[in-house]
Amino acid sequence: MLRILTALWTKEWLALSRDVHGLAVLFLMPAAFIVIMSLALSDAFKEGARVTDFAVLGSPKLGERLAGEGFRAVPAPADERHAREQLRRGGIGLVVLVPAQYDGTGPVTVLADPALDALQLLAFRERLLGAALGIDLKRATNVSVEVIGSPRPARPSSVQQNVPAWLIFGMFFVVLPISALFIVERRDGTAARLRSQQVAFSLLLVGKIGPFFVINLLQTILMLAAGLTLVPWLGGEALSLPARWDLLAAVAACTSLAAIAWGLLVAVCARTLEQATVIGGVGNILAAALGGIMVPRFVMPATMQAVASLSPMAWALDGFHAVLLRQGSGSDIALPCAKLVALAAVLFAAAVWLQRRRG
Amino acid sequence: MGALSLRDLTFRYPGANDAALQGLTLDIPRGGVFGLLGPNGAGKTTLISLIAGQLRGASGDMLLDGAPLAEARRRAPRSLGLVPQEHAFYPMLTCRENLRFFGGVQGLGAARLAERVAAASAFARLEPVLERRAGELSGGLKRRLNFAIGLLTEPQVLLLDEPTVGVDAQSRAFLLERIRALAAPDRIVVYTSHYMEEVQAICDRVAIIDHGRVLLAGPLAEVLQDSARSLALRLSAPLPAALAAQWRARFDLREDGTLRYELRLGAPADLVQALQAAQAAGCEPLSIAYGERDLEQLFMRLTDRSLRD
Repeated sequence: MLRILTALWTKEWLALSRDVHGLAVLFLMPAAFIVIMSLALSDAFKEGARVTDFAVLGSPKLGERLAGEGFRAVPAPADERHAREQLRRGGIGLVVLVPAQYDGTGPVTVLADPALDALQLLAFRERLLGAALGIDLKRATNVSVEVIGSPRPARPSSVQQNVPAWLIFGMFFVVLPISALFIVERRDGTAARLRSQQVAFSLLLVGKIGPFFVINLLQTILMLAAGLTLVPWLGGEALSLPARWDLLAAVAACTSLAAIAWGLLVAVCARTLEQATVIGGVGNILAAALGGIMVPRFVMPATMQAVASLSPMAWALDGFHAVLLRQGSGSDIALPCAKLVALAAVLFAAAVWLQRRRG
Repeated sequence: MGALSLRDLTFRYPGANDAALQGLTLDIPRGGVFGLLGPNGAGKTTLISLIAGQLRGASGDMLLDGAPLAEARRRAPRSLGLVPQEHAFYPMLTCRENLRFFGGVQGLGAARLAERVAAASAFARLEPVLERRAGELSGGLKRRLNFAIGLLTEPQVLLLDEPTVGVDAQSRAFLLERIRALAAPDRIVVYTSHYMEEVQAICDRVAIIDHGRVLLAGPLAEVLQDSARSLALRLSAPLPAALAAQWRARFDLREDGTLRYELRLGAPADLVQALQAAQAAGCEPLSIAYGERDLEQLFMRLTDRSLRD
């Protein structure tokens, strides 16, 4: 078994290393996007241009008064526990906890996303204290702010949006080299020859997972390096590194599995290289447009944000943001990682099933 | 029963109206080269693909030494080698990398793999091009690489599906000589081709199949033996009408308009008489075939001469 896998992996490496266009798509394209988009959108990510979502627990009227000037009210979580959970996941920026039967004098607590800028937090506090509440400022002095998770001084920047976003985009583009070689194998009779040599189809698929998994991890390292060095060298902001590299590796690994399984399914479905390019390429672009890669989700209206959460690229981005922006824990990446692994399992099973059905 | 015994094989491709194989029964013994002939669409490649395990779902039995072929292959996975019609290798890899890959996926260990890559490339005379990418090779060299890959595990059953298609005369002669050299008492070699002269040159036994059935099978010498005593002649000039009418009545004369004539003689003595009559009529015999049928003529007669594509 190991000998067979070694032969399959070696073949994939050699084939990919000689595919100049495939390598350009996997490494140059995301790097170029990271540099260009990080620099081009650096102003767009400044706080003035951002809209922060907030919710108010205990006083729906207060929510209506607080909205505006960069703050958008969203439906309130069920309770404080759910609110904290949403904040940890980055699903919301601020939550105001208003005690029951609040008369304008008691303590009001604001739970804040650690990725939120200090100035923005201050602006919200002022808004809460004065204008929005419409109460006597002297009476409403007791507002406490609690930052959920480890507070981080830096705000999410253009580079912190664009590095993980275009990295994910590039990772999903393994669909092209995977399907290209697969179709060539089928067209040239190599796949049939391997079948006559009794190499199981599932083993052939596993033979493709190994090399492309390593490729995806290499992409992760190189794109992070681009965010750390290339973008600041060209005048942009530098990427902040995560505290937990193991969690970053876990998110990258789960994203890789989903991307490779997607590539395998396209490879099995497509009859020609042209079909694979269209299905894989267009599929990726749509998933990216939808999933907050091309257009950050925080600038999308609420309905589009809900639609965006259907994209696997959005799940991957949630995972990367949990680690890179919010310095989250294992539980913060558990959901996006579980979704990505489940998707990978479904796509892989579909590829095997389709191939068997075709005989 | 042959070493490889095919019993009542029937196979239909999904969605096809007609079965590609219709109750095909054939015995293929060890030793020598077994030629499988048939026009396009006769079922040759389907049969090879079923034996090789590329296709599944046929009814009937495939037995190797009396045991089901699938079971025999599970016991000895490397016992069968296939040289397909297509250039079934990776054009972006070198010849050596291709050989190492196909040996590796068949589970050959490092030392054995190195030994077999050297042996197979030497057998197919690929050593000078081992480091060249397969996609850059000439047609003949690609065929030789395709051939060498099939020999990596020294298979006891070797299936060669039109291994000389599209190569020049020198490469064809080389490949035929190599294939002939593979014939061994303990090996089954099945060879399919459209080229009758190739089959006649290297095969010991043949089977002609069409429409998924065996039309004729047996040792080549027996298949070609002409019990009907037909005489095939190519003459220097057209037969005079009177002589042609006489031969038509007496020898069931057939002519194809290209100065080729076929007669069915009643007795060996008729041979001398017919030749003398032709010469007397000013028709010099340029070629004569008697006592053994030409494989191509036999093939065309059995398969009705009609176009298949």
